[in-house]
Amino acid sequence: MADAKLDAQFAAEVVADAAAIGNFTLRTTDFLKAAGVDARAVHHVVLVLEEVLTNLATHGGAPTEPARVRITVEPARVAGEIIDAGAQFDPRRAPRPDVKAGVNDRLVGGLGLVLVNRLTSELDYARQDGRNRLVFSVARSAAHVHGNG
Amino acid sequence: MVITEHTHGRVLLLTASGRLDGSTSAAFTARIEPLISGNEPRLVLDFAGVDFISSAGLRAVLSLFKQIKAARGAFALCAVQPPVLEVLDISGFTNLIPIHAERAAALAAVSLD
Repeated sequence: MADAKLDAQFAAEVVADAAAIGNFTLRTTDFLKAAGVDARAVHHVVLVLEEVLTNLATHGGAPTEPARVRITVEPARVAGEIIDAGAQFDPRRAPRPDVKAGVNDRLVGGLGLVLVNRLTSELDYARQDGRNRLVFSVARSAAHVHGNG
Repeated sequence: MVITEHTHGRVLLLTASGRLDGSTSAAFTARIEPLISGNEPRLVLDFAGVDFISSAGLRAVLSLFKQIKAARGAFALCAVQPPVLEVLDISGFTNLIPIHAERAAALAAVSLD
């Protein structure tokens, strides 16, 4: 566990609609870059946030309370937590499209959750108090650690 | 997302910069579709300035590729930043769409194709 005093942290509440998600992911990108996180980890942390929040916006059953997101930059990884009041959904158990299919057989859905599973080195889910709680991390630096693919 | 048009012989080169995500992909598609509406469109998309892509962006790229294939045209991506390339690879797009490191190679391939 890293020394909490040295960890940079970013927390926000996000309404699940495309414009708010776009604004939030831009701010998160700026925060991660300012904290010195490498380009790969910046990209993939922001990707996980965008995919999970977009999924909530599309399939979450329009929760009235915003999602709560917390991002912590640790020495070896970036850790994230997303808590939302949407429909129960465990992204680890989502159906996956065939990423080896040819162009004519390609389905347009499901790719986002493939990416969430492949780009995170940790991905944990729990349903608590009527909310989804997703905890994830992405490794920093060039050390590619794919744990859930 | 900013898209700039250039013509190289019979190839249309579009340089894109910015983010290709859920809030920008619809505009990206709307900007490019009219440019590839003819017969046998030849398109190179230079992604050097694209620093973010999500599944919404992947769907937009796949949709362009399908339209170009249906019109018996040719398409390639070039100069893709490493994190974006990793996403394309995991999604299986590197086996589907020609991707070149250098713009010149992409232009040459799409001219001949």
